[in-house]
Amino acid sequence: MIPERWQCNAVSVLSIHVLGEHMARLNINQLLALILLAFSLGYLWMAYQIPVFPIPRPVDSDAFPKLLGFSLLLLSVFLFFEKTAPAASAEKTEDELQPSGWHRQPKVQVFGTAVGVLAYAFLIEPLGFLLASILLGVGLAYWFGYRQHWINLATVGGIVLALYLLMNKVMGIYLPQGLLPL
Amino acid sequence: MESLSNLIYGFSIALDPVNLMYVFIGVFAGTLIGMLPGLGPISALALMIPITFNLNPATGLILMAGVYYGAIFGGSTSSILLNAPGVAGTVATSFDGYPMAQKGMAGKALAIAAYASFVGGTVSIIGLMLIAPLLSKVAVSFGPAEYFSLMVLGLTAVVSLSDKSLTKGLIAAIVGMMISIIGIDLQTGTERYTFGSIELIEGIDFLVVALGVFALAEVFFMLLRNSNKPQKRNEIGSLKLTGAEVKEIAAPIGRSSILGFFTGVLPGAGATIGSFLGYSMEKRLAKDGDTFGKGNIKGVAAPESANNAACGGSFVPLLTLGVPGSGTTAVLLGALLVMGVTPGPMMLEQRPDVFWGVIASMYIGNIFLLVLNLPLIPYIARILDAPRPLLLSLILIFCMVGVYGLSFSSFDLVLLLVFGLIGLVMRLYGFPAAPLILGLILGALMEESMRRALQISGGDWSTFLDKPISLTLLVIALLSLTLPLIKKGWQKARR
Amino acid sequence: MNVMLKKPLKTLALMGAALTLAGGVASQAVASDWTPSRAVEFIAPANPGGGWDTLVRTTSNVIRTENLADQNFAAINVPGGGGAVAWAQIARDNRNDHKLFATSPPIILVPLAGTSRFNHTHFTPVARLITDYSIVLVPQNSPYQSINDLFAAIGENPRISVGGGSAAGSMDHISIAGAAAAAGLNAASVNYIAFSGGGEAMTNLLGGHVDAVITGAGEAMAQLQGGELRALGVSAPERIPGLDVPTYKEQGLDYTFDIWRGVMAPKDISEDALRYYEDLFARMMETDDWKAATERLGWLDAYQNSEEFGAFLDLQLEQFRSVLGELGLLRN
Repeated sequence: MIPERWQCNAVSVLSIHVLGEHMARLNINQLLALILLAFSLGYLWMAYQIPVFPIPRPVDSDAFPKLLGFSLLLLSVFLFFEKTAPAASAEKTEDELQPSGWHRQPKVQVFGTAVGVLAYAFLIEPLGFLLASILLGVGLAYWFGYRQHWINLATVGGIVLALYLLMNKVMGIYLPQGLLPL
Repeated sequence: MESLSNLIYGFSIALDPVNLMYVFIGVFAGTLIGMLPGLGPISALALMIPITFNLNPATGLILMAGVYYGAIFGGSTSSILLNAPGVAGTVATSFDGYPMAQKGMAGKALAIAAYASFVGGTVSIIGLMLIAPLLSKVAVSFGPAEYFSLMVLGLTAVVSLSDKSLTKGLIAAIVGMMISIIGIDLQTGTERYTFGSIELIEGIDFLVVALGVFALAEVFFMLLRNSNKPQKRNEIGSLKLTGAEVKEIAAPIGRSSILGFFTGVLPGAGATIGSFLGYSMEKRLAKDGDTFGKGNIKGVAAPESANNAACGGSFVPLLTLGVPGSGTTAVLLGALLVMGVTPGPMMLEQRPDVFWGVIASMYIGNIFLLVLNLPLIPYIARILDAPRPLLLSLILIFCMVGVYGLSFSSFDLVLLLVFGLIGLVMRLYGFPAAPLILGLILGALMEESMRRALQISGGDWSTFLDKPISLTLLVIALLSLTLPLIKKGWQKARR
Repeated sequence: MNVMLKKPLKTLALMGAALTLAGGVASQAVASDWTPSRAVEFIAPANPGGGWDTLVRTTSNVIRTENLADQNFAAINVPGGGGAVAWAQIARDNRNDHKLFATSPPIILVPLAGTSRFNHTHFTPVARLITDYSIVLVPQNSPYQSINDLFAAIGENPRISVGGGSAAGSMDHISIAGAAAAAGLNAASVNYIAFSGGGEAMTNLLGGHVDAVITGAGEAMAQLQGGELRALGVSAPERIPGLDVPTYKEQGLDYTFDIWRGVMAPKDISEDALRYYEDLFARMMETDDWKAATERLGWLDAYQNSEEFGAFLDLQLEQFRSVLGELGLLRN
């Protein structure tokens, strides 16, 4: 007979051990599943905040969001326990790369592009469509490693100008002018 | 026989030099606009209305119809070359068109798109000509309950669109539906998931999501994968189809054209849903269905013939009932009304010149589109020859301009970036993007029609089973879900 | 039916001209030196094809064909939220002298229902242009012969569905619910089905999916000519000439509902620009092209200048507030 207290301890030690093992082995799918689970809980919480329509409806505004929230909750649980295929191909690529500088690191490249797009969103109105688009286009091509500056400027400039003229002059869609008088 | 003499009458109008010129202008402008991401047929048509005021109604509608089907025709180009769909109806084309271009078969993909569009367009004109008045009854027979069931059927395509993990495909579809219901709810006027933001009241535009998870995510993905590998030259490849290939795509084009036409006839369904239905139908029917999404030629042929056929089909409710089935045909209706033509049951008698003239002009326009596009393919496909850094930068510019042109809102540009990053994460961890787009298209429509149907029936759910069309659609949906499972189980059992 | 409709519609324009007299004269006196320096964005806060859109496109077209302005009036659709989306966009751009938008009762109704942060006081009224009325349609073979038949049936069977082209709590819903209340029913007992436009609602009526539809008389004209639909009643104070449809009042229902349409500008538009547009629209309504267009579309001219329109809107706000309160839909 094992003393009760001892047994209890053993169980808890065991469970901690299992949990620890599990945490260590948490694969990317399970991590994503946990994120989706948290997201679906937040989504559901918001679904319960949707006000009731004063005139009774057979199905009110909140029903479909609740259904979607619970479905995602369920699916994220499935995803957690799903057997995963061998690791995603993304990791393999990093070995092939021999970056020639910090800015050539793929992740830095993506990050820089995202920053560029964000900057464009905020600068398109003050700078105007033409200037902002040419800056972004030429800048990104340079960032991606293109060094033929004149061809870069001519191509991007030509295409942006053509788009601008087509939209502004031909189709009557009015794009912000900004600093340039055109 | 009667329709033949009517058609001859129609051609006598359409072949008038002025009308011939406007068909040409229409399809040319339409292709060009369709090629640019973000500039869809609606904006092109709305902007064309002032021009048509000075034209005779037949000429005006000939021009506008040309722009409409021209834009759908041209929309496939940027889907195939850049993975950046030009119009909503061509999103499905990018599923296989872009992989084909990556494999050095851009020329072939574009050629197939052109041929499929041509056949789809022509089939729909024949349908429009022969059975339009009959079809108007089909169009009105679709009420809220029937639409709900149609959307359910459409959603079953998630199964065939998610290749590796069904769970991940379903998650993508649910997220797509979650995006689709953001904004004001029509049935109650309540705001949902807008976070109090003014910009989200109108919901999120379909193309912002599509360009984000396809084009932007693709650029990010390419940056991650081989940013400093020496660039290999992009092959455009031959435009020529082998006899075997023609044989292979003939049946899918035929089936998808007919499917697309009927989808187009239904108000509210249209080219986008038609192309998705065509794609998933062919994927299920094909013996090599598992190569769909990896550059299967049938995966280009099916959605392209379906979306062009749907475009023709959408003229049925417009011309025979006088009710627009989509935003695009609503603009056409508005233009016709202002020109003094009332589309509807009386139109065939009152303005046969407009009705038959437009139909005849569509035959001519489709031929124009084919002979215009085929010789241009090698030149347009040259864009892939651009040095890769420059090409990536240009794709980004096209997306940004397209999105900004939709709403003139910087907020949408930020959203584009968000969806680009979401698309990248999905891409890296094996979540398919197509079900997300499908959920986005069908989610809000499904919810809306379900609630309408239930409100009409007083909350009685049997309304979906009582109506024969609705029941049929639900049964097909159920079969399309269970048959592959049964088949698989049977094969396993036999082994 | 077609022939019958056309001729008397001419008198409709005359009637409208009488209505405009007061406003038209007043505004002609003021003209300013300000002219638009670039194209004017003329926003329809809805999808193409509806009432606002038709107004915007017709007006832009008349201004262009009659050479009333040096600059183009570009029709832009900003759909969503029964107008709230466009209002929010315009409210953010509150100093733009080159932006106008079409407006009608939803600018008051939607904020009252609590789904727009912006109402007519956040904008500058430019001019009221025309009015239209609600019309109740049923299929040709419907058992209901009069508006009273329909309401009596609704009283017995609350499942009878009435489709409309705007969101619940918005224009079409209020119009039919108010009429039902006037007929002695509980306003909330009308089973109103919201469709995304009058066209979609009428398609559903043609297919027999709803029992009746309420929409604008102008929008319904084409369908009435087609002969598959029939009108039970119209919300006008007097019978609309040329439209062979009895008013609610004739049928013993003391209720009218105007679907007025006009033009508004951002809140902080310059005084000069406001005068320019006010005058422009007054002049536009005198042109032959405008008269031809209103005749075709079945509109009644109802011009008011900026000041009169503003006062009218305040009055409408009070009326709608009380109607919505009775319906239990007042949320703001």
